[in-house]
Amino acid sequence: MKILIVEDEPKTGDYLQQGLGEAGFVVDLARDGLDGLHMALNGEYDLIVLDVMLPSLDGWGVLRTVRRSGRETPVLFLTARDQVEDRVRGLELGADDYLVKPFAFSELLARVRTLLRRGKAKEPEVFRVGDLELDLLRRRVTRAGIKIDLTAKEFSLLELLLRRQGEVLPRSLIASQVWDMNFDSDTNVIEVAVRRLRAKVDEPFEPKLIRTVRGMGYVLEVPEAQ
Amino acid sequence: MKLRYPLSLTTRLALLFALTAASLLIAVGVLLGRAVEAHFAELDDHELRGKLALIENLLQRADLPSARDMLPQRLDDAFVGHDGIAVFLRDKEGVVSYAIHPSSFLAGVLAGDELPSGIAKWEKDGHHYAGREQSLRMQGADGTTTYIRAVVGLDITHHATFLDAARLRLWLAISLAAVMAALLGWWVAHAGLAPLRRVSEIARGLSAERLSQRLTEAKAPVEVRELVDAFNGMLSRLEAAFQRLSDFSADIAHELRTPISNLMTQTAVSLSRTRTADEYREVLTSNLEEYQRIARMVADMLFLAKADNGRLPGPHELVALADEARALAEFYEALAEEHDVNVVVRGAATVHGDRLMLRRAISNLLSNALRHSRPGSTIEIDVADDGPQVMLRIQNHGDTIPADQLSRIFERFHRASAERHHHGEGAGLGLAITRTIIETHGGTVDVESADGVTAFRIHLPRLIHGQTSTE
Repeated sequence: MKILIVEDEPKTGDYLQQGLGEAGFVVDLARDGLDGLHMALNGEYDLIVLDVMLPSLDGWGVLRTVRRSGRETPVLFLTARDQVEDRVRGLELGADDYLVKPFAFSELLARVRTLLRRGKAKEPEVFRVGDLELDLLRRRVTRAGIKIDLTAKEFSLLELLLRRQGEVLPRSLIASQVWDMNFDSDTNVIEVAVRRLRAKVDEPFEPKLIRTVRGMGYVLEVPEAQ
Repeated sequence: MKLRYPLSLTTRLALLFALTAASLLIAVGVLLGRAVEAHFAELDDHELRGKLALIENLLQRADLPSARDMLPQRLDDAFVGHDGIAVFLRDKEGVVSYAIHPSSFLAGVLAGDELPSGIAKWEKDGHHYAGREQSLRMQGADGTTTYIRAVVGLDITHHATFLDAARLRLWLAISLAAVMAALLGWWVAHAGLAPLRRVSEIARGLSAERLSQRLTEAKAPVEVRELVDAFNGMLSRLEAAFQRLSDFSADIAHELRTPISNLMTQTAVSLSRTRTADEYREVLTSNLEEYQRIARMVADMLFLAKADNGRLPGPHELVALADEARALAEFYEALAEEHDVNVVVRGAATVHGDRLMLRRAISNLLSNALRHSRPGSTIEIDVADDGPQVMLRIQNHGDTIPADQLSRIFERFHRASAERHHHGEGAGLGLAITRTIIETHGGTVDVESADGVTAFRIHLPRLIHGQTSTE
């Protein structure tokens, strides 16, 4: 997966490149709008992370030209300007998502993965991690063959963790995806919800699948053998 | 011609004074002139009638032929020496039987024209005259009656001269009085407007640092006092707003200082000697949490700043409040169960608004209620449609909020108690955000707390006027 980052702020650009690189992506970095546009038109990227405020050509200009050239590369906008009209304008021009600075890196990573997954092959109907199994059609969860009763929201939460297994999911993303709470809400709620899910899915079993990544969020995966 | 600048109040008043005074004086002058003129005319007429009566008397005594011969002599006796009087008598055929100073009369009259009836006036050789003509009966001793027409003229030049002089003096006096009125008016207006100048003087001295100053015009006239009151009211509002803003800035600085100071200390201590990777990871993680707190606070403050600038999305969709409350109750369900608190939602109502904003507003109230609920209690959310208004009430059982805190609970960075310092919500902006959102929707939010029951109430207009449902 190849990602182009267009960002003029040196530190932000460097850390984004490093962070996404370490997350397993191939990352190119452009420091201004014209360079970014040139690379976007000449390279084959799966995703462009685009800053709005750029020297020489702003993010909107880059996006407009990229779309006119017929490229449907997904674009994630980064901006310090949290204004509704900006958001609307970006989305009208064909941006796929929008993130306001300052953002948590885990949030960016989650959104990048969402965009890259979009339009990919159909998701399976049964998810499995280790001995945990979630059947979407029958709304059934089992672990080690034992049926586990979950509430509707617990089911949705587990489904999200399974769909994105191995990814650290920030609390805000969980609140937004499971409860449709698209604002900074009381994050204790997510903590409690995850704790209760753990009590049913993880506590009676080994190994523990749901892990807390402090300051970042939660991840569901089979722990590496010590 | 249009004036480039509007006339000053003083000039206006002075001019109005002058105009008023001049009009009044002119009216009085005209009346006075007329009265004097009428008086003179009356005097003249009286004299003319007197002369005519005298002539008639003489004519009547001339009944005997001998006496008739004496008539001219008697008339001369009566009139010679009175330069101002002209007389001539003529019979029906126009034969003049007697004349004295006939040059006073106009040629036409001398030739036989009758004077107009009543009092006649004319001018000849620079002299003004008034005259009267009357037919007089002369009784002869033989019983014959003859009619003599007597014409009497009076030189009234001195009256005319006097009137002209008086008029001139009157106009001069009026002009002078008008000028004086203007000057007096200017002075009066200037003195009368002194309170206004004092007001502007004080207003000029005001600045952001001295907003606490008030205009004191207790002795000022009523009109100015109204202005002063209005001005002072404006000052109070400005001062309060300004105070809020500067408090807010101070609070921001304070709220940011704590996490930044934590970060600096922690980082400096960690760097003071070599540590294991796990220890570094721990520091970075802790820093990350602190950064997140700061970021959340900045986002909240930006939200409030945007609201202050009127840049929040307005009402544009239909929002079923009870549905939102239920969604939130579901979201908080796990947390509520942890606290052993039950949440119930009752009623239904729809408002025009922004769903995300309203959800956030209610979320803050519910989160607040949850934090302050006694274990085993129930949080009741009631939604009611009250005609033009929609009400949403969140009631919880817990500690009573002291009365002095109630009024300030919606203020930015306010915390009902100091110990609530490091709660998930971070800075005390949640309720301020709620109020801002509700006010953006044209509604109000208030709180009452008594006997361990605290209730927040949101009132929203059901439909913002001029908006129609587009959903």
